[in-house]
Amino acid sequence: MINNAKKKALRNVFGEHLVYLGKKNKKICVISCDLKSATKTSNFFKVFPKRSFEVGIAEANGLGVATGLALKGFIPIISSFGTFITGKFLEIRTSISYNNVPVKIIGTHGGFIGKDGATQSGTQDLSLMMSLPNFEVFQPCSPLETEKILDYVIKSNKPSYVRICRNSVGEVYAKNFKFIPGKPKELIKSKINTIISSGPLIFNCIDAISHLSKKKIKVGLININSIKPFDYEALRQMLKSKKNILIVEDHVSHGGISSLVYETIAKSKSKFKILNIKSLNLDGKFSESGNPSDLEKFNGFDSKNIAKIFYEKFNLAK
Amino acid sequence: MFKKNKEKKFYSLSRKIRADIIGMLFKAQSGHSGPSLSIVEILNYLFFEKKIYKNFNERDHFILSKGHAVPALYSVLYNLNLINKKELSTFRDIGTKLQGHPDRTKLKYIELGTGALGQGLSVSIGFALANIILKKNKKSFCLVGDGEIQEGQIWEAAMYAGAHNLKNLCVILDNNRMQNETYTTQTLNVMPLKNKWEAFNWKVLSIDGHSFPQIDEAFKKFYLEKNKPTVIIANTIKGKGISFMENSAAWHSKVLDEKSYKIAKEELV
Repeated sequence: MINNAKKKALRNVFGEHLVYLGKKNKKICVISCDLKSATKTSNFFKVFPKRSFEVGIAEANGLGVATGLALKGFIPIISSFGTFITGKFLEIRTSISYNNVPVKIIGTHGGFIGKDGATQSGTQDLSLMMSLPNFEVFQPCSPLETEKILDYVIKSNKPSYVRICRNSVGEVYAKNFKFIPGKPKELIKSKINTIISSGPLIFNCIDAISHLSKKKIKVGLININSIKPFDYEALRQMLKSKKNILIVEDHVSHGGISSLVYETIAKSKSKFKILNIKSLNLDGKFSESGNPSDLEKFNGFDSKNIAKIFYEKFNLAK
Repeated sequence: MFKKNKEKKFYSLSRKIRADIIGMLFKAQSGHSGPSLSIVEILNYLFFEKKIYKNFNERDHFILSKGHAVPALYSVLYNLNLINKKELSTFRDIGTKLQGHPDRTKLKYIELGTGALGQGLSVSIGFALANIILKKNKKSFCLVGDGEIQEGQIWEAAMYAGAHNLKNLCVILDNNRMQNETYTTQTLNVMPLKNKWEAFNWKVLSIDGHSFPQIDEAFKKFYLEKNKPTVIIANTIKGKGISFMENSAAWHSKVLDEKSYKIAKEELV
């Protein structure tokens, strides 16, 4: 189901699509905090210098400048590492969230980013941003999903946070894929077992699922691309027949995908058939230095370990 | 003669704005009196002399970054007939448009909701940049407190505006020399103001922030400025106009009782 011919780094997709959108919509402008190359907004800066603003290593000011531009009718996109930009929480809370101004924040470098280590890795960003009134929060897993989410965000009159990881991934969607804010997407259907994930970790999950299918264990996959808004009822429908559920997220355990799943279950009055539910996450820890694939293995996010949870922890080995 | 009359009218309106502030604060039994009273002449000048909101859709922008002084702005909007007496009396009540700190989602004349200090100047820069792209000859004003400039974001913003020569941007620094608890010099010294802003490539003007001729001259200089952003250091008196509130840290946000309200009203006649 993965089209690897279209394998691309999501931040590159973001950078290229931003130029495409900038050509169509003259209101789009971009603010960089000295991270044009790393967050791939450099192309936009080259093509539209008059709508590009380099504020330097000053994220708080950048967020305020974006707010002023948005209040004047522009569509400002401010990008930085997710951890740096969401770290300016009070500025986002007051200037953007409280004032309900459609500033578009792009946080790159979420999850296991590599050798730069924990200070640069976005592992609390979703939790922080989900807590803010008026904000919409999304995370794409594939190139097409990245484009569709950006198309939506540009049109939305709300402030948005989009977590875009740097991983190079293939495509899971057909060309006619429609992004619907709020709705979880059941990429692989299965009655009894499922994995729930978000972002590029989806691809580790797909590998794990194909590994499990060789062992005659059928496992489905639900992709949560829209974290806020979130359609709890849609997820409840997807989960009502499931017995074994594994949540996989490169984020702390509080206020991310795991929280959404547990809330869905807790909020529902109808009974579930769940026998096992486990969340694989950063468990309130920081990440550390290392190759992304080594970090994934070390923390148990590789496809082999994900598969192992089903046949060992969930006792599904036949 | 004409000039003298104009000045007289200006000061008389200032007294009226102050009386309405005191009325609101007494009715609400809360709010920030001292920091509201120090900015009255500045707001009076911008809104009644420069008439920046005369055509609201084509306005010069104004952000009150020291959001706790919003009673002064509400009083000005009331005296401009943009909000009515009934609305004014709801200040800080449940369901009011006139929140304890400004809220643009509830009152359209608020350009930015503020209250967490240090954030307004960056947004004023966004307005200034937008006006440059849109080729509009409109100004962007931002009023900050002297205590407020202890916030780091102010200096990120000051550095940006100075580096980009944003001549359509004007900061008014309400230098009432006091902050929440005591004098700025005893909390975290913000002096010397002039050298700091000049080093960030701003044109610096220092005036008596309660004097009409000095305010008038400073803003005229800003309108003529061709190269840099302007900061007007308005040397003011916290609690200006009411004897027992002047230069008193206690009156930063002390509640007005019946007796002090009566004295205050009499002093403002």
